[in-house]
Amino acid sequence: MNKNKSFLSRNKGILIFFAVMLVLPFIIGLFEGSNPVAVWNNQGTFSKHLEGIGIEIFILAIFALSYDLLFGVTGLMSFGHTMFFAVAAYTTGIALKTFGLPLWQVLLIIVGTSLVQAFLFSVVLPRVRGVTFTMVTLGMASMFHIVVMSSDMIKLTGADVGLQGVPKPAYIDPTIERLRFYAIALLILVLVYIFYKRFIDSPTGRVCVSIRENESRAKMLGYNTTAFKIVVMLIASFTASIAGVLHTLYQPIVSPTIADLGYTVTGLLIVLIGGIATQSGAIVGAFVIKLLDLALRGIMKDSAPLVTGVVYVIFVLFVPYGIVGSLKLGGLKIKQGWQMLLERFGLKKAMPKGE
Amino acid sequence: MKKKINITGILLIAAFIVFLVLAGRGMEPRDLLITTLRGFSVGSVTFLVAAGFSLIFGLLDVLNLAQGTLYMIGAYIGWTVFVRPDTFIDITPLILFLMAGFALGFLWDYLADKIKLDAKKKKILGWAFVLLSVVLAVLILPRYPIAMWELDNYSQSPISFSYMADQGIRIPVSPAETKGIPAMVALYGSLLLSAVLAFGLALIRYKENRQHSLHWKKWRVFGILIILGTLIMAFNTPLTDWLMNMNTNWLFIIAAVIAVLSGIGLGALMETTMIQPLYSRPVYQLMLTLGLGTIGMQLVKAIWGMPEFVIPKPEMFRGSGAGCPATTIKDVFTNHCSTILILGGRVRVYDEIVLPIVGVVILVLVWLLLKKTRIGMIIRAGVQDSNMVEALGINVRRVFTLVFALGAGLAALGGVLSAPSYGLSVSMGEKFLLNALIALAIGGLTSYPGAALGSLMVGLIQQFMIKYGQIGIPIPFTDIVFKPTPAIIPASTMLLMVIVLLILPNGLLGRQD
Repeated sequence: MNKNKSFLSRNKGILIFFAVMLVLPFIIGLFEGSNPVAVWNNQGTFSKHLEGIGIEIFILAIFALSYDLLFGVTGLMSFGHTMFFAVAAYTTGIALKTFGLPLWQVLLIIVGTSLVQAFLFSVVLPRVRGVTFTMVTLGMASMFHIVVMSSDMIKLTGADVGLQGVPKPAYIDPTIERLRFYAIALLILVLVYIFYKRFIDSPTGRVCVSIRENESRAKMLGYNTTAFKIVVMLIASFTASIAGVLHTLYQPIVSPTIADLGYTVTGLLIVLIGGIATQSGAIVGAFVIKLLDLALRGIMKDSAPLVTGVVYVIFVLFVPYGIVGSLKLGGLKIKQGWQMLLERFGLKKAMPKGE
Repeated sequence: MKKKINITGILLIAAFIVFLVLAGRGMEPRDLLITTLRGFSVGSVTFLVAAGFSLIFGLLDVLNLAQGTLYMIGAYIGWTVFVRPDTFIDITPLILFLMAGFALGFLWDYLADKIKLDAKKKKILGWAFVLLSVVLAVLILPRYPIAMWELDNYSQSPISFSYMADQGIRIPVSPAETKGIPAMVALYGSLLLSAVLAFGLALIRYKENRQHSLHWKKWRVFGILIILGTLIMAFNTPLTDWLMNMNTNWLFIIAAVIAVLSGIGLGALMETTMIQPLYSRPVYQLMLTLGLGTIGMQLVKAIWGMPEFVIPKPEMFRGSGAGCPATTIKDVFTNHCSTILILGGRVRVYDEIVLPIVGVVILVLVWLLLKKTRIGMIIRAGVQDSNMVEALGINVRRVFTLVFALGAGLAALGGVLSAPSYGLSVSMGEKFLLNALIALAIGGLTSYPGAALGSLMVGLIQQFMIKYGQIGIPIPFTDIVFKPTPAIIPASTMLLMVIVLLILPNGLLGRQD
């Protein structure tokens, strides 16, 4: 439907977002009292802290985007999605720390591991459906979590303490070159977003949506639904892996909680709060979750997850379309109301009925 | 209809048995026996969680991921009744009175009908009443006297109470202090609060053209709740003393009953208020139960604290004096021994004999309920095709609530029964939820016997892996002895699940599509 528009006008929203987020550290720096040059040289303390939060949000958003493609767009309820993320995070960490590989080689390895995992899941795909798929994926991810946590591989993974002291390449080290890292993470998020938008608008994406709505009908129309699912799995796996690499590069410790079911649930939460199957929802949700978490931790310390849980349940019960989805629906209503108002005052011709 | 014999399934079970026999060859008979019994024990606890799970999923198509939390809550409520009966007695009237307001639902519907306002204004009035009830709650509930443990004060923390109770000593507790207003006032204030809330909700959900009657029989539940609550409040001290000095066997039974009742209550509450509005959106039910599970876990953490403790074993199973360990079953009953000698190995009576027996009893009872009663017939028909059952004029929704409550109650029973041997911790729910999920996936999600078979297999495999962690598995043709570390144990069952599901996507005994 957007075919006639140019690239710029199609992606207006995300490009504005990109520009704003890019300028934001400098503006925050001004409020703090450090001039843009200081921020450029990574000297402002508060703006640096904020960049850190921003990076975490971007990583979460990339992860949530990939989860949304699987669960929101294609309707594959996977509870093992965090495995893609965690495998990439650990592989990066181990390759950098134990084997001392340069980053570009690590990235090649990550492409390989994400492919292998997607194929692992794809072996399962044609056989199991619905809840069984959920449980098989849960089982696979839990096995990885257990392997990470086990003391057999403590030298590689650090078991329950986590992977510490990963040497980071100097040109992207978040402690020295944080602004650069921030910009790269933001750029990756924007690129992933644009790619996802394009993918879902493409004929392949349309078939994926139809699989979610009614798989047997899609099959009957002659689509090999398994193949489409595998494609989606590949894309989601690769995207989540990128998020995992960024996570390892940014965090001082790769904790095993990222391989837990809880991390998948975080992704689910983000998607749900932002709005299922709306790509911008993943970004909005990531912002809301991270900031809410920070605020709650400041106020109530340990019982923050309780409030997050309550918010989650309220969203499931009362705001099923999430923030972005509800806004879209509400926006439609406002538009209709405006139309009606105009018609009533005779400023606009009434729409012919039947349209 | 003749059942098709599932050859692949039988082959898998045969392979499993062969594996177990092979696994047992390297062990001494008594090790084998104890390991098997432990497997049965874990299996039966898993079964209690999984049975409710399978019933709920079969009938309602809801994957109830809060089942683990219900199991955990059952255990913690059992602990409270067993170790701190005074807290239990303090809080019971409050809960009864809060329920009493909602027991008058018919009256509120009647009144909502009588008020002459249009629907929109009724809704606004309803929300005003809900708001009022929140104000009342803030005013009244903190002033209600409850004697409780303190998480920050070690000598008054749950761990201390648990430890002392395990030694057979009760830490003396001071009765709850009244805070500003007399206890009875606070109690009846809570009745007012629940009545206002129930009336507000009735106004919000008001629909026209309903039959209303104020028949006297409808008042019975309300009357019973009020009288019971007032009596317990009035005789607080003697009741507490009675429970405190009671034989721990009976106290444990009371704790189990209370835990099951609260599990049933929570299940019914969850189903009617939150699951029912979501029947048209199945994925959201999954997410909702997941969220509720997390909330429950956090609540348990906030109320009972992080550290682990146990329910002390009842007197019947804790003797260790003369004549112990018992050699015959008669000895167990006369000396109340905690262990019994079988084949020269010490077997713990409660953990390894009582738990499996309870598991089998519950298995048979629920099976009888399903096969021999009318409600069981409706449930089985509902599993087949719930739309058809509804079309035949049976109120399936009510059966849904019943089954959900039953499943939650079974999980709570599992929690309270397993607490003396496996202990209470914040992560216990997650652990057994995962066990139950694996068991169900192996046995077949909607099959009740499948739940039993799967739980048994999960329990056996876990215990055998733990045993091999101690003695090691000699790998054939090499000198390597493989010792699985404790962390690998859950992985073994996960692996079994993945293999079974890949060969048989519907599980061993599942319904074939």
